[in-house]
Amino acid sequence: MQHPKTLALLGAVCSLTVAAAGSVPRGVGPEFISHYQNKEVFACIANPSITISPDRVNDNTCDCPDGSDEPGTAACAFIDPRSPEQPLIGSPSGTTNATRSLPGFWCNNKGHIGGYIPFTFVNDGICDYDVCCDGSDENGSVNGVKCENRCAAMGKEYRRLAEERKKSVAKANIKKREMIKEAAELRQRAEARIAALEKDVKDLEAKKEDLQRKYAQVQNEEAGKIVKSKGGRGGKLGILLGLAKDRVEELREALRLVTEDREIMRSKKNELEAILMQFKQDHDPNSNDEGVKAAIKSFEDWAAREASADQSEFLESDVNEILKEDDETNGVNWKAFEEQQDDTDILYDFDAYIPPFIRDVLHDKIRIVRQWLISNGMMADPATDGSESSVVKAAREAAETAEQELGHKTRELDQERSDIQKDYGPSDIFRALQGKCAEIDAGEYTYELCWLDKTLQKSKKGHAHSNMGNYERTEIAIADEEERVDGRSLGSGPRMVMRYENGQTCWNGPQRRTDVWLGCAEKEEIWRVSEAEKCVYKLEVGTPVACEDEDVKKPDEKDEL
Amino acid sequence: MRSTMGLSWKWTALFSLLSAFLCLIEPTLAVKEHDFKKCAQAGFCKRNRDYADQAAAQSSTWISPYQVVLESPSLKDGQIQAVILKTINAAGETVRLPVTISFLQSGVARVVVDEERRQNKDIEVRHGSAARKERYNEAAKWSIVGGLEPDLKAEIVHQDDSQINVKYGPEANFEAVIKLSPFGIDFRRDGASQIKFNERGLLNFEHWRAKIERPEGEENTEEDESTWWDESFGGSTDTKPLGPESVALDISFHGYEHVYGIPEHTGPLSLKQTRGGEGNYAEPYRLYNADVFEYILDSPMTLYGSIPFMQAHRKDSSVGLLWLNAADTWVDIIKTKGSSNPLSLNAEAPSSTQTHWISEAGILDIFVFLGPTPQDITKKYGELTGTTAMPQEFALGYHQCRWNYISQDDVKDVDRRFDKAQIPYDVIWLDIEYADGVRYFTFDPHSFSDPISIGKQLDSHGRKLVVIIDPHIKRVDNYPINEQLQSLDLAVHDKDGNIYEGDCWPGLSNWIDCFNPKAREWWKTLHKYENFNGTMENTFIWNDMNEPSVFHGPETTMPKDNLHYDNWEHRDVHNLNGMTYHHSTFEALKSRKKGEYRRPFVLTRAFFSGSQRFGAMWTGDNLADWGHLQTSITMLINQGISGFPFSGADVAGFFGDPESELITRWYQTAAFYPFFRAHAHIDTRRREPYLLGDPYSAIATAALRLRYSLLPSWYTTFFYANRDGSPILRPMFWTHPSSEGGLAIDDQFFLGSTGLLVKPIAEKDKYSTDIWIPDDETYYEYTTYNLVKTQQGKHVTFDAPIDRIPILMRGGHIISRRDIPRRSSTLMRFDPYTLVISVSKSGEAEGELYVDDGDSYEYQDGQYIYRKFSLKDDVISSADAEGRDTRKIKPGKWLKAMRDVHVDKIIIVGAPASWNREEVQVESEGRTWSAKVNYQAANGDRAAFATVSHIRARVGENWSIKLA
Repeated sequence: MQHPKTLALLGAVCSLTVAAAGSVPRGVGPEFISHYQNKEVFACIANPSITISPDRVNDNTCDCPDGSDEPGTAACAFIDPRSPEQPLIGSPSGTTNATRSLPGFWCNNKGHIGGYIPFTFVNDGICDYDVCCDGSDENGSVNGVKCENRCAAMGKEYRRLAEERKKSVAKANIKKREMIKEAAELRQRAEARIAALEKDVKDLEAKKEDLQRKYAQVQNEEAGKIVKSKGGRGGKLGILLGLAKDRVEELREALRLVTEDREIMRSKKNELEAILMQFKQDHDPNSNDEGVKAAIKSFEDWAAREASADQSEFLESDVNEILKEDDETNGVNWKAFEEQQDDTDILYDFDAYIPPFIRDVLHDKIRIVRQWLISNGMMADPATDGSESSVVKAAREAAETAEQELGHKTRELDQERSDIQKDYGPSDIFRALQGKCAEIDAGEYTYELCWLDKTLQKSKKGHAHSNMGNYERTEIAIADEEERVDGRSLGSGPRMVMRYENGQTCWNGPQRRTDVWLGCAEKEEIWRVSEAEKCVYKLEVGTPVACEDEDVKKPDEKDEL
Repeated sequence: MRSTMGLSWKWTALFSLLSAFLCLIEPTLAVKEHDFKKCAQAGFCKRNRDYADQAAAQSSTWISPYQVVLESPSLKDGQIQAVILKTINAAGETVRLPVTISFLQSGVARVVVDEERRQNKDIEVRHGSAARKERYNEAAKWSIVGGLEPDLKAEIVHQDDSQINVKYGPEANFEAVIKLSPFGIDFRRDGASQIKFNERGLLNFEHWRAKIERPEGEENTEEDESTWWDESFGGSTDTKPLGPESVALDISFHGYEHVYGIPEHTGPLSLKQTRGGEGNYAEPYRLYNADVFEYILDSPMTLYGSIPFMQAHRKDSSVGLLWLNAADTWVDIIKTKGSSNPLSLNAEAPSSTQTHWISEAGILDIFVFLGPTPQDITKKYGELTGTTAMPQEFALGYHQCRWNYISQDDVKDVDRRFDKAQIPYDVIWLDIEYADGVRYFTFDPHSFSDPISIGKQLDSHGRKLVVIIDPHIKRVDNYPINEQLQSLDLAVHDKDGNIYEGDCWPGLSNWIDCFNPKAREWWKTLHKYENFNGTMENTFIWNDMNEPSVFHGPETTMPKDNLHYDNWEHRDVHNLNGMTYHHSTFEALKSRKKGEYRRPFVLTRAFFSGSQRFGAMWTGDNLADWGHLQTSITMLINQGISGFPFSGADVAGFFGDPESELITRWYQTAAFYPFFRAHAHIDTRRREPYLLGDPYSAIATAALRLRYSLLPSWYTTFFYANRDGSPILRPMFWTHPSSEGGLAIDDQFFLGSTGLLVKPIAEKDKYSTDIWIPDDETYYEYTTYNLVKTQQGKHVTFDAPIDRIPILMRGGHIISRRDIPRRSSTLMRFDPYTLVISVSKSGEAEGELYVDDGDSYEYQDGQYIYRKFSLKDDVISSADAEGRDTRKIKPGKWLKAMRDVHVDKIIIVGAPASWNREEVQVESEGRTWSAKVNYQAANGDRAAFATVSHIRARVGENWSIKLA
């Protein structure tokens, strides 16, 4: 009973494997055909000194140390750099840890595109149609599994989708060209602005210099004019001094109160912080009480923010300095001011020695001269300024205004210049996206991508938003994603990745960051978001920016040339 | 000045912030020990330890107040029934404790002691509690499944006023000498004492007593009542409605220096002493299933599961003990040097081990095993508590888990990347985040909107999905499962009889009470495919948190005065709880669909004696550090000799981010875990093996492929575990009970009976190791076929660069492999076999292969292949291991398909030159054909080896190959 069955089986194996002269054994790729065709003996490809008869090719026994005698079975799949090591005489390493001569099992896929699948996928009872639409990877030796040839249908569907995709890519490329145009316009406008600004700056510099010169001149002219201020001891300055002193005392007192308040708040904060830390320490970390979890998370976020937040410039030592009483070594030396006798005081003193009638006449004369001086702008009006004449003031203000205007324009120019040098990607194309954002809903969050700015995770449950990173740079990285029928996939190959870094710090972890991978699509759309590990996000985003087309031949290179 | 001041201010601030954060982080790096009781904080443990101290202090004048009264002093049906009278006061009042001593056909003796007054319900329960009046006597109902046939040949061979001698055992070479006053039993084998009960007089049966309410300030002057009644710990109070009720006994192992078992702990295989001193523990080993967060190493502290089974061993002799009690249990161990034993006249007497078992409640129920071999102990323990369930074959493959794969896209992507990297795996797991708001039996509608699509993608390559289902049921409105749990009254109750509420992953929750038969039936309905939407035939279940873990509960579990079905207190059943839940899920998976009769796969964290019948366990939330890697080996070996070998530890550590070297070494080690699963905490970085980078990904892949190539041997080893309870990772004392030097070795093991001796590298920067050789057989290096120059008792140095696992092949074995790397174990089912023969010193070898469909129970109807391969007198042959005439078995679908599966290659390591020839003849079932031979002479250290290929011998048929 069993004998005939075995023979039948062996026969089946033979018919499937061994080639009649001229035919190519199963699984041999086009570039290796010459090794197998029309040979009296088969020589192992990497070890030609080892020869076997052609009927031992694809006989499901591995004879060659490079595995080349089994192009159509999995019998040599154990020869692999990732195999558990065993001695293998004749292989380069002398062990099974070696590279085979053949890249894999060749599926011819007539009517579609041929390709290699790993030997480990051959004769395992699974039809690997994604690469092997002709079903040649299963020859029925495993549990009777054979695979029908689906190349006709799959090829047709593939071509249909490819056509569709091509159309879509074409549309996307039209969009892309529009974007490039828009970006170029934006760049031109920016360049025009720079040119205008450069001119403005130049003019302003000249104006500023001129006015400064004038100011200096006026100051000079005013110098040496003796002026007497009204008022009591020390005149206006003295009053000011008194007022200032009182005011400083008042402010100091207020600051002292505020500082005390702050100390109280600070100790309260520390107390609360200690309570929360204790709470965090003591709570069962396995707990999933929503309230506890939310509280701990908020605390952690807060703590992380606290840790990363810039410390106030307002330094403790500054406050303490200010709080000290003023004296010769600290703060304002009021005494020095109070005791100082200026030129007008000397005048007063002189005044005291002359007779009253002369004094009155003299005062009248002085008053007239002074009025004349003031009206002619030669002396500052005491009603408007304690020490500066209106002429000086006007000159000074004019110079200052010019300087401010210059500073403003210079900054504007610097911004524009750095913007024009900023990496806006090939053909400056991201210029067209600046200021725009895209969103996607995912579970309890909405994710927002603002081009060249930042990525955000927005809670739908009312928790705080988290910054997932700020735009740093764009790089090229190798994508390896499953192709999708709807085309919303990065696929495989080099793709633009926009790196968003230094987002909000994660508790007990790094700062959040996001890799924004770009795939070709007709419009800006976030395909999916994932957080493979905590606080490291990946956005897969479709945009015409990422499209490549025959019509747009390496625009980036063209542009840079 | 200002700027430097500012700078220093900023630095100070930075440091203070840093230190504040370190304070936040640090406590999470170690177990919160204060959350768990020390013996002195558990009233009953302290009382019994104090009792032991008192006895030791009084030494020779100490008299145990327990005497046996023989009311019907006959041995009937292998049983002696009597009453122990406990004298409770100076006035001579006594309490009656009925005792039953049973002798079983297997040679196991069983001693049960109960309390008559409580049997008769003649007591009062305080606080108006509904708790049962009897002592808990149902542990056996859950744990014991067989082996209770009485030894009808047992006979009383001597009896007088002081003792009764009973001969029993399969060869009548066992003897129990029952001492009447004070009560004690001396178990002897071949006339020599092995195990003694109450030798030190520590038997303590805390009888029920009424609480006498005394006026304020007045205290019991005779006894310290302080720990008798309500006890508080960590902010919760145990109302103890039955007062003090502990049971304790000292059990001595005479002449035994080593005791093993009583998992789950992190210490060495050979248990340490527990009453202080250099290198010893100061606390007893504790058995109280608990969710211990970030547990510590080398500690007697309790963990997630418990098996109160202890084995004692000395050269050439093993004995054992099962203390069948499910309450909180502590075990003190002290070891005495032979000369210090006052009873011994022989100064050269070997060391002995004295143990002291203390349980909080329940009856005394002890099984005594007298060996004499480790195999006898394991087998008989298996007969009583059951053996490892025949596993789903895929479950021996590699499991990829993470808390959490966050969406169905994520799962599918991981699946795809494994294939892309050509790394085999069988199962991907979903932790709690898949369920909608941790409502078990639902899938999150956003991230897992189409779980069936996952199942189908996995199934397309023979893979499986495991989802977690925990025993806490979210207490929330509009969740039908909680509504049913409440309305059908199937949950655990609190001490007042209300449905117990506690906190766990979903927040406020209730707990299913699987002691309730109706709850178990209900549990089945929940798992049916039509009720658990999103599951299909390749979905299996993970049971976690079944200690049970209750956040904020006393010792992270339920209050002891909670009430289970039939009004048993949680105190009585705590250690059984996890097993009843695991068991319920196991049964539920068997009834998902009418007519479907397949083996379940259920992983559990909590366990007890008997859990091995329901699936696998893992060692819980370990850490990604080298110490945990090393300890995992010991813990899994201990699981194996304790009857529950289907065990694993999270690869490469649950908490933390392991360095590449640690991950790689962990994969190499875990390739030899019976249960091989990678798992990681939600805060860790991704570390799937394809992410490790060069060269680590390739090395981890090779380790995984090694595991897969050896699956036929693994499955055969599981078959043995199912058949006779034998361990899968076998320690030296178990395989070589006569080799004294190996009795405490716990970092190397044999894989089943393959002869593969493995000593994984579990230390950083370590690139060689010393393997202890247990016998005088030939040993070869597995990867190189190098001959190891060695002899019994020698340590041989094995070079182990990062890409090499220290594995030796012991001469005399034949192992089965499948060498074609595949994507999953399912896809290897019909691949040809390779046999590897390591030739022994005598030129012989033997090995077995068991194979069935790996999924159904059809093996029970003979649908399996079980071969014995042997090499003898230059002939390799294959015969049915049970001598069945396989041609008479009507083949089912699987067996038919196996007719086309061959043994296609045989590698003979250590082949003599006489086998150097071109071809050999294969003879099978009356036919003869030739196979090719490639002979490689010895070269340097490498032994000669011959490869016979193109054999084409059907694996299920008889065949032979003559080599010379």
